[in-house]
Amino acid sequence: MAVREAEPVGSLQEVKEAGLDREDLLGIYRHMLITRGIEERGHILYKQGKIPGSFYTGRGNEAAAVGVATAMGPNDVGTPLHRDMGVHVTRGTEPWRIFAQYMGREDGPTRGRDGNVHMAVAELGLHAQVSHLPAMLPVAVGMALAFKIRGDSRVALGWFGDGSAARGDAHEAMNLAGVRQLPMVFVCDNNQWAYSTPTYLSYPVEHIADRAAAYGFEGVVVDGTDVLAVYREAKRAIEKAREGGGPTLLECVTLRMEGHAVHDDAFYVPKEMFEQWAAYDPIERYRTWLHDHADLTDEEEEQILSVVKRLLNDALDRADESPLPDPATLEHGVYASQEDLDTPHHK
Amino acid sequence: MTYIQAISDALRLEMRRDQRVFVLGEDVGVYGGAFKVSLGFQEEFGPWRVIDTPLAETAIVGAATGAALMGMRPVAEMQFADFISCAWDHLVTVAAKQYFRVRTPIPIVVRLPSGGGFSGGPFHSQNPESSFAHIPGLKIACPATPHDAKGLLASAIEDPNPVLFFEHKHLYRRIKGEVPEDRYTVPFGYANVHRPGDDATIVTWGAMVHTATEAADELAKEGFEAEVLDLRTLMPWDKERVLEGVQRCSKVLVLHEDTRTGGFGAEIAATIAEEAFEHLDGPVMRLAAPDTPVPFSPTLEKAFIPQVADVVTALRELAAY
Amino acid sequence: MSTGTQTEVVMPQMGVSVSEGTVTKWIKQVGDSIARDEPLLEISTDKVDTEVPSPAEGVVTQIFVQEGETVEVGTVLATIGAAGSTAAPAAPAPAAPSAAPEAAVAAAAPATEAAEPVPAQAEAVAPPPAAAPTATVPPPPATPATPATAGNGRTFVSPVVARIAAEHGVDPTAVPGTGTGGRVTKKDILSFIESGASAAPSAAPEPTPAPEPAPAPVPAAPPAAVAPEPEPEPEPVAEAPTPPPAAQPPAAPPAAPAPAPAPPPAPVPVAATAQAGEVALGPGEELQPMTAMRRGVMEHMRRSVDTAAHVTSAIEVDFARVVALRAKLKPELAAQKVNLTYLAFIARASVDTILDYPFVNGELRGQSIVTRPHVNLGIAVALDDGKGLIVPNIRNAQDLNLTGTARAIQDLAERARTKKLLPDDVQGGTFTITNPGSFGTFHGTPIINQPQSAILGTYALVKRPWVIQDELGNDVIAIRPIMNLTLTYDHRLVDGAYAGMYLRDLRDRLESWDEAAY
Repeated sequence: MAVREAEPVGSLQEVKEAGLDREDLLGIYRHMLITRGIEERGHILYKQGKIPGSFYTGRGNEAAAVGVATAMGPNDVGTPLHRDMGVHVTRGTEPWRIFAQYMGREDGPTRGRDGNVHMAVAELGLHAQVSHLPAMLPVAVGMALAFKIRGDSRVALGWFGDGSAARGDAHEAMNLAGVRQLPMVFVCDNNQWAYSTPTYLSYPVEHIADRAAAYGFEGVVVDGTDVLAVYREAKRAIEKAREGGGPTLLECVTLRMEGHAVHDDAFYVPKEMFEQWAAYDPIERYRTWLHDHADLTDEEEEQILSVVKRLLNDALDRADESPLPDPATLEHGVYASQEDLDTPHHK
Repeated sequence: MTYIQAISDALRLEMRRDQRVFVLGEDVGVYGGAFKVSLGFQEEFGPWRVIDTPLAETAIVGAATGAALMGMRPVAEMQFADFISCAWDHLVTVAAKQYFRVRTPIPIVVRLPSGGGFSGGPFHSQNPESSFAHIPGLKIACPATPHDAKGLLASAIEDPNPVLFFEHKHLYRRIKGEVPEDRYTVPFGYANVHRPGDDATIVTWGAMVHTATEAADELAKEGFEAEVLDLRTLMPWDKERVLEGVQRCSKVLVLHEDTRTGGFGAEIAATIAEEAFEHLDGPVMRLAAPDTPVPFSPTLEKAFIPQVADVVTALRELAAY
Repeated sequence: MSTGTQTEVVMPQMGVSVSEGTVTKWIKQVGDSIARDEPLLEISTDKVDTEVPSPAEGVVTQIFVQEGETVEVGTVLATIGAAGSTAAPAAPAPAAPSAAPEAAVAAAAPATEAAEPVPAQAEAVAPPPAAAPTATVPPPPATPATPATAGNGRTFVSPVVARIAAEHGVDPTAVPGTGTGGRVTKKDILSFIESGASAAPSAAPEPTPAPEPAPAPVPAAPPAAVAPEPEPEPEPVAEAPTPPPAAQPPAAPPAAPAPAPAPPPAPVPVAATAQAGEVALGPGEELQPMTAMRRGVMEHMRRSVDTAAHVTSAIEVDFARVVALRAKLKPELAAQKVNLTYLAFIARASVDTILDYPFVNGELRGQSIVTRPHVNLGIAVALDDGKGLIVPNIRNAQDLNLTGTARAIQDLAERARTKKLLPDDVQGGTFTITNPGSFGTFHGTPIINQPQSAILGTYALVKRPWVIQDELGNDVIAIRPIMNLTLTYDHRLVDGAYAGMYLRDLRDRLESWDEAAY
């Protein structure tokens, strides 16, 4: 199976055929705006000393994250990474809890036990990543394995990046998934830099998707800044998996528009690359597309922007009221008890 | 039945009573498992409940975690306990920490044929328990008898936390015992007095339980009655019972087959010194394998694994102190 | 991060390993107004240079760190006041790190060793040799060889031998040793003690003689030690090894001086026996493990019976009024998370009654009678799994009303069960209530908790046919909830009539409970 490069999305008609109506389209826009808004405010919070530790964003990856998440079915599950806040936003994780999570407060999904995007919202099918990437790929494979064993028509998605693709976990996971034709999608956020390592020092082939053939499934490369193209390809891959067609490796190509984390100014990225990719800013692109193909008016746009702004301000205020965790509770919750097994994701 | 039969029995009973339980690992299906623990299972339960995986420990244990998150109760088999090092990262990074961080329990069991005594060499004979005991979030079982093997495996499968189940392979076919037919569980964190005594307490687990018992029987002829306390689980371990034994006997020997430095016996010894200091009538003695990889040649291996004679010597020293 | 109307601006941590930053440029100066999130200053760190946005809207009131200065992460750089504030005089604050994550070291509640039940406390408290008043230890009698100098002359005393020696007032060097190098082993010292060799020549070897001064009141049952007895306070401080009967001539000063009500000297140990492995077993017999707690109980029971002249008086109390009142008040108190038990009523009433009968709350110290205005009320609590009894006490119970008493009892029981008691909780009690009736028994004769002078026993609340007066004053039979209460008292201090009056008053209080007063 050769690698297929995806076509960009054209008209609204094409989009309708893919199952999205105008409301959905505006929803996608809103989700991308919220995602970026959360991360921009996160920067400010970090510099104000309110976010401890480090701070990572997925600026430039909004379309890849939101596009894939929009294509997921309500009972599908996945393990998004730190560039994929858009997945959480699209699936319904509340922004105030995301802020609380960043700030290490009691009301974050991990109650201060972990930071950044290392959080699970099991009711939404989103499970928590670790730092040792791509450790979540074998886990996603296991989720798909459970679906296959039980005959559930659910799909698991595992995310990884251009850097972590180099580790054994990726190979083992894809190999097992391919051998057993498991219902899953491997999503590669290829933002072309693994910290300061460019892709040509991370892998020797042209596309990460080239490897899919080695595992017996299809690899697709898509422009990660084109949210509708991402949506279309993700939907195709997800439904294929759901119908028993096995895995797909979906490589979304973007540029990481900021440093690896907030303490990194990415001096090693050539200025021209930033300039070039700035022109493909996913939100800007989509906004233009909406104006051109979906009759988005300026008033509508204003309205959406102001709703998002208010949502985020309220979320920030609410998160700020959440207390820091009580040190006396530190040693609680190392081990689960039987009652904890009756949680949504265990049903 | 034998120790290995008890393990198969437990696994089979669990798979029959709970659809969510399934087995995955290398050669577990068609071949019935390298040690034949799952012989006949694939015939009974089908290929999607007894899954032959590629040679990929991270994928095996990682997939177990993912399946557990989706409501299954996977029992993964490592062909030899030694290979767990290939999945160490996953266990320690993902499985152990998941509940603490994000409150999603990981009810997986990893079965580990461990231990030496048959010239298995450095990579087929280890007891890699101590590094995992050190990681918060994991549980560890190490039965010494068929009765406990069956009951602990059922408990392990029931447990909502990741459990490392160390089966001492040298006991597989050598040890027989009475085992109830029905399903039953043995709780974690409760030691068992394998042999009673008041003059000293030997704290141990796994195959060493039998070595210790033989040695204690020797010493009994000299009028010295040592109790053999089988911990049965290392995480959690029955600290209370150990301390009670120390209080009563005032002399203690901690014995394990794993190497000495940083072995789990060090944790037990330190705890005893800390919490039962005023009950000690002698130093807290430790007997373990020397700090080397497990050697291959029989003469070397005998010098490596604590033998009955070694334990007898240690007990005599303790008795005379 | 705000104090009053001033918001602090702190040096951010730009990266996990970054510990300091340098102020490179103040974009705003003192007195300038600034909007929220507007850039306020520029900083430089090892990793990156960046702007710091303002956390608040208002006016820059103070700047503490000047351009070019390097400070630690978390240092307060400036303050922003509400719009319209005047700039504060430029008094640079010390470069102290501000709030930042409060998550300090885990509080680690004092759960661990501090609150083990008595035996562990006994261990912890027992200061080994240091406290051993070797001054009062009589030299060992006759026989034994000089132990410690045998072999290589080792005089090492192991921790357990030291502890046993301290508990029994034995000098380890007086004990023949069979261990390595002539060391005294645990077996050695235990058999030494058991053989009575440690007893002072002047003292009777066994403590069984009934207390001589026992005035013969003998009305109620003799102090048969049947009922479960609350655990004593930690007390095995090394003392003269003479047997305890306090009536002995003052040769052995039974009461230790001041600090807390020190217990009488430790008796000849009873617990030593089975330990040494010298017990002969008949066919079918087996040895059970002897725990430290059991030993403690054995010792205290023996000593209490030998010290006090135990007499028990009983009275039956009609609980109808209390039952009704409890039903009424229980939900109110439950709303405050307080469980209202009968014990709370009894405790409140008995403490109140004590104030009229101070000897019930008193103590014999040597030849002196000691009374006190406060009641430190001990409540016997059974630990789970038959692990024993412990008697923590409520200090100054006389100051508590019914609700306060109920709450205090609940708190003590909870802390006892979760092993969160502190040594203070089990020391200094002046009166004890125990409940032998929890399994349905209607009468008992508890053993007094030394060094107190009385103990109240409560029993099952039973519906009985009872004779009461109707409105016309005629006798009629009614069904009433009746509870038997016993006061077991030390007749050396408390006489029968005194005890009887105490019980009568206690009964009256319970039967005519005045809600307003409590």
